[in-house]
Amino acid sequence: MNRGAFLARVREAAQAGRAFRVTQPEELAARLAAPAADSEDLPSRLAAEIDAVGGHARLAVEWNEARELLAELLDCYEPSSALCWQHPALDALGLHGLLTERNVRPINYDSLHALDAAEQRRQMLTAEIGISGVTAAVAESGTLALASSPGQERLASLAPPVHVAVVAAEQIVSDLFDLFPGVEHGGHRAAISPGDSPARLNPADLPSNWVLITGPSKTGDLELKLTTGVHGPGKWHVIIVRAPLA
Amino acid sequence: MTSSSYARHEHHEFQAASAEALADANLQLALAHLGDTLGQRNRAAFAALAGADELRQRARAIKDAALANLDEHLKTLESSVERRGGHVHYAGDAADARQIVLDILRSRGAKRVVKSKSMTSEEIHLNAALAAEQIEAVETDFGEYIIQVAGHRPSHLVAPAIHLRTPQVAEVLSGDAGEPLPADAEQLAAYARRRLRAEFARADAGITGANFLVAETGTVVLVSNEGNIRLTTALPRIHIAIVGIEKVIPRLADMPVFLKVLARAATGQKLSIYTSFVTGPRRASELDGPEEFHLVLLDNGRSRILAGPLRESLFCIRCGACLNACPIFRNVGGHAYGGVYAGPIGAVLTPLYDGLAANEHLPHASSLCGACQAACPVKIAIPEMLIQLREQLHHEPGKLGFAEAAAYRLWSITMRHPTLYRIGTWLATRLSRFLVRSAKGDRPRWLRRLPGGLHGWTASRDFPAPAHQRFRDTWSENRIHSNHP
Repeated sequence: MNRGAFLARVREAAQAGRAFRVTQPEELAARLAAPAADSEDLPSRLAAEIDAVGGHARLAVEWNEARELLAELLDCYEPSSALCWQHPALDALGLHGLLTERNVRPINYDSLHALDAAEQRRQMLTAEIGISGVTAAVAESGTLALASSPGQERLASLAPPVHVAVVAAEQIVSDLFDLFPGVEHGGHRAAISPGDSPARLNPADLPSNWVLITGPSKTGDLELKLTTGVHGPGKWHVIIVRAPLA
Repeated sequence: MTSSSYARHEHHEFQAASAEALADANLQLALAHLGDTLGQRNRAAFAALAGADELRQRARAIKDAALANLDEHLKTLESSVERRGGHVHYAGDAADARQIVLDILRSRGAKRVVKSKSMTSEEIHLNAALAAEQIEAVETDFGEYIIQVAGHRPSHLVAPAIHLRTPQVAEVLSGDAGEPLPADAEQLAAYARRRLRAEFARADAGITGANFLVAETGTVVLVSNEGNIRLTTALPRIHIAIVGIEKVIPRLADMPVFLKVLARAATGQKLSIYTSFVTGPRRASELDGPEEFHLVLLDNGRSRILAGPLRESLFCIRCGACLNACPIFRNVGGHAYGGVYAGPIGAVLTPLYDGLAANEHLPHASSLCGACQAACPVKIAIPEMLIQLREQLHHEPGKLGFAEAAAYRLWSITMRHPTLYRIGTWLATRLSRFLVRSAKGDRPRWLRRLPGGLHGWTASRDFPAPAHQRFRDTWSENRIHSNHP
């Protein structure tokens, strides 16, 4: 069916269907009530929610402490290679030094981009741990938002059996609504200043892939019993740092 | 394992299939906990969400408004997708959609396809069409993979293999593995991970559906718990999304409203594990993601529904909550319904898409208890729609037997003539007294067996016995005996 005929049929149907509307157009103009006010400490709330969905969250006050927490994880999993984002939070914690000290081969944009596509893919798929920063985090649901870009590959949080993410407190917002632009709800946005936060999505320039992650990979397909690690990482660690990023 | 063909093929045999389902001990065990797991989690999650009803009403209002100008939103969507380097295709029906997908794959020499769970692709019978062209398609959702190997149809919107128990799954996957696998969920999932990772790595194209399409940004929103959808949209060089036109949402800002109610309704989670916003192919210099993106917009009967009184059925966001809430579904399972969509919403959608006359039993496969509407994240008035379909059914030629038609005519005449009505109720009290005599004791409250041709009605339920005295007689007596001054 060609485009014109397809759209003409839809137009006719949409017009006829207006006789059967079940809501008032004015309903959309009303503001949604605010999500509960967030007087609580966002890093603590985020950590609690991450634990509640089956992840493992650790809070650090300073970047040095965060470095120790990541070192513990590396000593626990003993990976031979790590697929890493290039991100200010990972620089702040000195990721490169940590990996070198332990003879873990870093796989990242700089090491990959000159290789041919097949070799890039082979290396990314065989990495034993994925280490990333985040673009934003949502305290209410224990969610990390990760936008893709060169240097911030989607596979880092997906292909390896273990994913470690590092979050700076200033990246945390209170509610899912706070990630979206122009949502008419009455809530105050404690964590970010309206309009100019890098955490907020810009409809005019979305990344090719933007993912919300809320837990380790799971399936309930066998008798509704939750089983972890089907396709994505079965182990999900989040290190939350209270100190500022810059 | 059931040898029934109902699990394998679409059919119009609701009564025979549900009778078989009720007698299937394994299926009954598999369905037993649906209500107190997923059903209960849905209720708890909405109870814990502040302003839940306001959000559900808003989601409903957004859908209603989007459908009222759907053609405009489709045009916006098209330009948004193209601006980001994607391609939009229009499929008027299932055959169109299959042809479009085959053309894309053939012209690019794609031989291997990974798929993530998509009811739309079930609806257009894509897998059979791909197989006929020697294109190998592998389902990657764990539940979908199990039933693909078993040759079954999905039996639930979000848990497609809910009809199988773990030992049955072990048997199915052991055949696939060529070695015996233990009946252990962790180990079976680990097998699927290994087996399917290899398929992801070598696939030429990934085919998905979509939970939502955002018109202003050209974004495909995909929700999953396993991560298979992310792999499907990260590794193959071509991404094809096949999506019904009713999935279009005007603005990005509308998305949190739907995301907040979708996962809560489906599984009681605040959000599913992965919610992906996919906007076009990978950008220059990105190392992963598809090089090509195609969006296939599917009508296939949707515009016909959009123009009519049951348009509200297009609000459905496919969470499966009405299935878990439904006492009928929880007893007969998904395959009994015969069509692509099962449960209460399937009882509405299948007659609309596939024809009412051929699916005459589906609008009656409900006690109209309203649990579906109460569980629905967009508050679709499913019971009301089932009643409308029942009414339409009576206008379908040849759908009413002679005896039934005569009985309704007699009923209609009696109800319009007070004298006839009085005689009728008097006869009923005589019947009651006769029953008391034959029961030699208290007046029976329920009749176990109706006489003559009516005994079919009491084969699986009792009939309420008529009262021994008419209401009008009781009323008159009480007026006489009461001591008003």
